[in-house]
Amino acid sequence: MLIITRRPGERIMLGDDIRIHIMEIVGNSVRVGVEAPKSVPIYREEIWTAVKEENKAAAAAETTTLPRPAARA
Amino acid sequence: MQTIDSTRFGALDIPDDAVIEFPTGLIGLGGTRYTLIARDESAPFLWLHSLDDPSLAVPVTSPWNFFSSFEVEISDGEAERIGVTDPSDAEVLVTVRSGETVEDFRANLRAPILIAGGRGHQVINEARGQSVRAPLFAEVAAAEPHPEAVA
Repeated sequence: MLIITRRPGERIMLGDDIRIHIMEIVGNSVRVGVEAPKSVPIYREEIWTAVKEENKAAAAAETTTLPRPAARA
Repeated sequence: MQTIDSTRFGALDIPDDAVIEFPTGLIGLGGTRYTLIARDESAPFLWLHSLDDPSLAVPVTSPWNFFSSFEVEISDGEAERIGVTDPSDAEVLVTVRSGETVEDFRANLRAPILIAGGRGHQVINEARGQSVRAPLFAEVAAAEPHPEAVA
């Protein structure tokens, strides 16, 4: 992992198309701006990880494991 | 028309208009081309089947089959990214994770899949109270004491 130290106001480039802005530090939080092409999805990592795990678990299903709920009136 | 050799379903013929492009794939799973397969007309589950990986398929369902209060809201950035301003213009599906018992089944209401115009995107749902692991049969259990599981 590359570790860089930046001050508020400074920026990082990821390739030619993604720019990370370190905006300000407020207490324990860092406000980060992300400039990227519209097509690039941006996620809080914990959400991304949770969704990836659910996707992988769902993809593990065999054809026989899906239930059919009893028909409703 | 293309044919894939699904590890679950064998040879499948897929018409061109059934191909759904996922420009950014499914989160963490990748892939860019999928199709929806219904194995049983009367069941509420479909399979979102990869056309790039014959072993990759995910059970999905329309969330309103099981969650009467389901809502989807997406950020302006997401709406612009996927080209859908109103989620009601899209088909909405959620992934379903199976479990040992019926009570263990979970739907991901936090990252629904929106399909419109032959394109699909898995988005982050910003509506309140939408769990990434919602018990699928909670409402059914409340209404009927004995949901049946069919092997």
